[in-house]
Amino acid sequence: MIEDIATMCGTRLGPGTLYGAIARLEQQGWIEPLPAEERRRPYRITGKGLKVLRARLSMLKMFTKAGLERLESL
Amino acid sequence: MNRALARLLICLYPRDWRQRYSEEFEALLLAGRGGLRTAANVVWSALCEHIFSIRGGYMDQPTFGAIIKKPSAFLPLAMSLTALAMLGGAYIFSLSRGHGGLVREPDEGAIAHLWQLLMAGQMPVLVFFAIKWLPRAPRQTLYVLALQAGAALASMAPVFLLNL
Repeated sequence: MIEDIATMCGTRLGPGTLYGAIARLEQQGWIEPLPAEERRRPYRITGKGLKVLRARLSMLKMFTKAGLERLESL
Repeated sequence: MNRALARLLICLYPRDWRQRYSEEFEALLLAGRGGLRTAANVVWSALCEHIFSIRGGYMDQPTFGAIIKKPSAFLPLAMSLTALAMLGGAYIFSLSRGHGGLVREPDEGAIAHLWQLLMAGQMPVLVFFAIKWLPRAPRQTLYVLALQAGAALASMAPVFLLNL
């Protein structure tokens, strides 16, 4: 997951930061743990998490679009 | 990262966090690159977890019943109710002796001093309770704080109403 985030965003999260985020996402009910694979535990996004993510990404898309349009008009 | 250092770092987290995440977190630390930066990140995250503790899905959410059983929750309640009971007892005693109830006296008696001690003494306990439990279970803690405030107001009401 750390590698994935590093590839996508160019930022490498520390393990403490990553697990802080995982714990909070789980607390909100946006992700849920799957059965452990040896000592590693995969997680998956929940229905509630999908809804929230979709809303946040849509908002981000609108924000990006508006920002780019204003930049172009300069 | 070596196992001993990973375990040492995990020990810095709160107990309920460790119960939920220690195994998988240790696996992540062992699989990753060690180093000062990683260690500093874990130490900082553990510190943050103590200050703004979270409750993961599998952790036990403290219920109102569980919180009210904590000494710092029920002690202020007990102190307020004791203060109220003392006033009630003094009132009944005064009536039985034909003094017509409680009256303001320039020289405050033992009951007044005890009442003041009970009401002032609960303040540090209340502050400790709020600091400890508000970040962990805000809603349940607010209910308990409301109960404590209600008990304190009930104890103060006769003093103000009777102008004691």
